[in-house]
Amino acid sequence: MYAEQRDPEFGWTGEHRQLRETVRGLLAERAPVSRSRELAEVGERYDPALYAALAEQVGLQGLALPERFGGYGGTLLDLAIVVEEMGRVLHGGPFFPTVALAAPALMAAADEAACAEYLPRIADGTLTAALAVVEGSGVWSADDVSTTADIGGLLTGAKFPVLDGADADLLVLAARGPEGVSLYLVEPGTPGLRRAPMETLDGTRRMGRLTLDRTPARRIGTPGQGWAAVVQAREVASVLMAAEQVGAMAACVELTAEYAKTRRQFGRLIGSFQGVKHRLADMAVRLEMSRSAAYWAAWQDPGTDEFSFGAATARSFCSEAYLQTAQDTIQLHGGIGFTWEHDAHLYLRRARADMALLGTPTQVRAELETTVLAAAAELDSAVPAWPAIEVPA
Amino acid sequence: MTLAHPVDLPAAEADLADAVGAWLRENLPPDWLAAVDAGDHAAVERIRADPGRRAAWFDVLGASGLATPTWPWGQGGLGLTADRASIVTEQLVRYRAERPNQDFVGLTLAGPTILEWGTDEQKAARLPALARGRELWCQLFSEPGAGSDLAALSTRAVQREDSSWLVNGQKVWNSYAHLADFGLLMARTDPAAPKHRGITYFLLDMRTPGVEPRPLKQMTGNAEFNETFLTDVVVPDSARLGPVNQGWAVAITTLMQERNGLSGRPVVGQGESDRLVGRALTTGAWRDPLLRDRLVSAFVEERALQMTTIRGFVAAGSGAPTAEGSIRKLAHATLSEKLGVLGTELEPDGAVAWDAGERPVAVDAFLAMKTYSIAGGTSEIQRNIISERVLGMPKDPDPERHKPFQERSRG
Ligand SMILES: Cc1cc2nc3c(=O)[nH]c(=O)nc-3n(C[C@H](O)[C@H](O)[C@H](O)COP(=O)(O)OP(=O)(O)OC[C@H]3O[C@@H](n4cnc5c(N)ncnc54)[C@H](O)[C@@H]3O)c2cc1C
Repeated sequence: MYAEQRDPEFGWTGEHRQLRETVRGLLAERAPVSRSRELAEVGERYDPALYAALAEQVGLQGLALPERFGGYGGTLLDLAIVVEEMGRVLHGGPFFPTVALAAPALMAAADEAACAEYLPRIADGTLTAALAVVEGSGVWSADDVSTTADIGGLLTGAKFPVLDGADADLLVLAARGPEGVSLYLVEPGTPGLRRAPMETLDGTRRMGRLTLDRTPARRIGTPGQGWAAVVQAREVASVLMAAEQVGAMAACVELTAEYAKTRRQFGRLIGSFQGVKHRLADMAVRLEMSRSAAYWAAWQDPGTDEFSFGAATARSFCSEAYLQTAQDTIQLHGGIGFTWEHDAHLYLRRARADMALLGTPTQVRAELETTVLAAAAELDSAVPAWPAIEVPA
Repeated sequence: MTLAHPVDLPAAEADLADAVGAWLRENLPPDWLAAVDAGDHAAVERIRADPGRRAAWFDVLGASGLATPTWPWGQGGLGLTADRASIVTEQLVRYRAERPNQDFVGLTLAGPTILEWGTDEQKAARLPALARGRELWCQLFSEPGAGSDLAALSTRAVQREDSSWLVNGQKVWNSYAHLADFGLLMARTDPAAPKHRGITYFLLDMRTPGVEPRPLKQMTGNAEFNETFLTDVVVPDSARLGPVNQGWAVAITTLMQERNGLSGRPVVGQGESDRLVGRALTTGAWRDPLLRDRLVSAFVEERALQMTTIRGFVAAGSGAPTAEGSIRKLAHATLSEKLGVLGTELEPDGAVAWDAGERPVAVDAFLAMKTYSIAGGTSEIQRNIISERVLGMPKDPDPERHKPFQERSRG
């Protein structure tokens, strides 16, 4: 799996800062938010030259992949920093689906041959991939997988919406075979596979519908153990998406604070009105709480209970926080915030789309109930609230 | 017995926790330790309630530096950073060996403010007593006419020939003032100066003649805070903290510590929402899917706040707290209200009626839920601080900011 964390929680190092600066600088130059908008407007999937540069110049695709699979052996935390920067500029394209969804699924399936074949190509930027799990219900649950694999390994069913599903070079699918749910690989051009791009609320991310009709596929990992791999991959993706959302929220807060410091009404800067100041303060609270939740999770080691808990917490908190932040951003911009030309709606679209992508916050909280109950069962009534309810101040 | 010098304290979190745990096991009275080990909360509470035994324990604890781990080595503390200190606190809480919440003003406000502004004599006189729990402190800041606009306070201190000060005025909402040995007092010393520049800060001995706290009954039914009348109170100049007329700068130290200290546990673990979940299981409210979602939501929010507190403490290290503390204080205030209401909803009858003597805990939590959104600076004031100091918004207009205090409008 991913490399273990060595630095203590929230103990940022110079390397972390340097990584952040490098990625931020590169994106500012070659993929600012205006570029994400441009690609979305003309319906282009991505900028292949930039994607290659991300791999060749900075090694981002392989950053957290093990060295024996062509990666750099970095941590998920490193990757979180990278996607946070991408979130700031609403970077779309194959990076997230490939690096945050498909690669973790390949790793979790622990199929040496498949990892050796595909991960190095993901790492060097020559292969993009997508993970296809949900089938229209939006719910991430083994029970909702009704795509079937017959004895001969032929897949039949439909998967949608799949992030980058219509365009990726490799599809990792969850399907139900005789042994239960397993993961399968399908390459484009395979007979019986149809891929159709869908129209999307968030134009910066492409989604597709996959239809499979007796499509030959290669099963990977332990037969019938595919769902466990999906769960692990989803946790990794949840943490990374939370980090991405932190970046987007930070951009929203900065954009709005900047506007409030320049726009005048009633002879005053609007940032001097308390109605505006206080909404901004609430945005800052949400951003900082989200940052803590996302990075606390990123600091845990995948595979541990803490990581699973952190992933769910971050997913529930950050996706709701981001949506509210995007709404507030438009509100504090007034009419200009409602225009097509302004970036505010791009952040709003992304926020709503994110909410649906890895299971809704409500689903995540329902899943958390077990953990919450376990915590309540361990209640130590001797431990007082800290500080207790009555504070003398 | 004292712990080793801080440089010898183990660096790893788990080792530090172990070292503190081992020290506690060695030093706690045997029956206390036995009660903790047996999970006999009532027995622990009985021991803690005995004034003599409590005082004896706080003396041992204070001498070790563990009661005040962030204070510098050599001045009663262990020189630990805020995040490492929280590991110490957690261990103390595990053994119910920690100082009570009543000591918040003493340990979190008075100590650090004296450390920053005190003379050597003041430090020598007050810090050991604070560390060993010999003195209870209160905060005499708010006045009937000066709450959020604290710098508009009008309690007067006039210096006399012999350099002592004569103080007259009235303070209000002063928690535990009726029990306190010392008070953090701000008084006006130059009414001709603008309001922030004519205030001086004192460490008031509450036993001085003319100091008269009168308990006020709170909405909770308890009487923990007071109005405090100050009539011809003579305060020696040696009790002045910081320079004359620069009391506002001293107060900022106190206020920053206060916000920073009001955001809950710097540990990801058991919180108030856990208790609510436990209660919901007992009452059956857990079966309601809507309540379940709100409980898990609150659980998530509380954990996110705990994570934020850890992050804040790590970032602060040994440095002074910053405006970032307002973010956590505001988040805590919001969460506290959410939990207060939710708690009552878990009770079968909404906690609106109970058999004599069977008052549910939810009632107390509900009635106390507004504490954090008012005490220590209201949520509106925290929002102003965040907006102005963190996000760079213009300051709120204050027509009296630059006027001599004595020319202010009244009422
Ligand atoms: C439980 C408790 C314990 C306390 N303990 C202590 C203590 O030990 N020592 C002590 O000195 N004080 C203590 N206080 C007092 C506390 O600090 C003050 O109550 C608080 O600062 C608010 O001041 P105020 O009550 O005068 O309200 P006001 O300042 O009159 O505020 C009234 C309302 O107006 C709003 N408001 C005021 N100014 C602004 C503004 N600029 N912008 C927007 N809204 C504004 C406030 O937010 C509030 O909603 C305690 C209070 C409580 C509730």
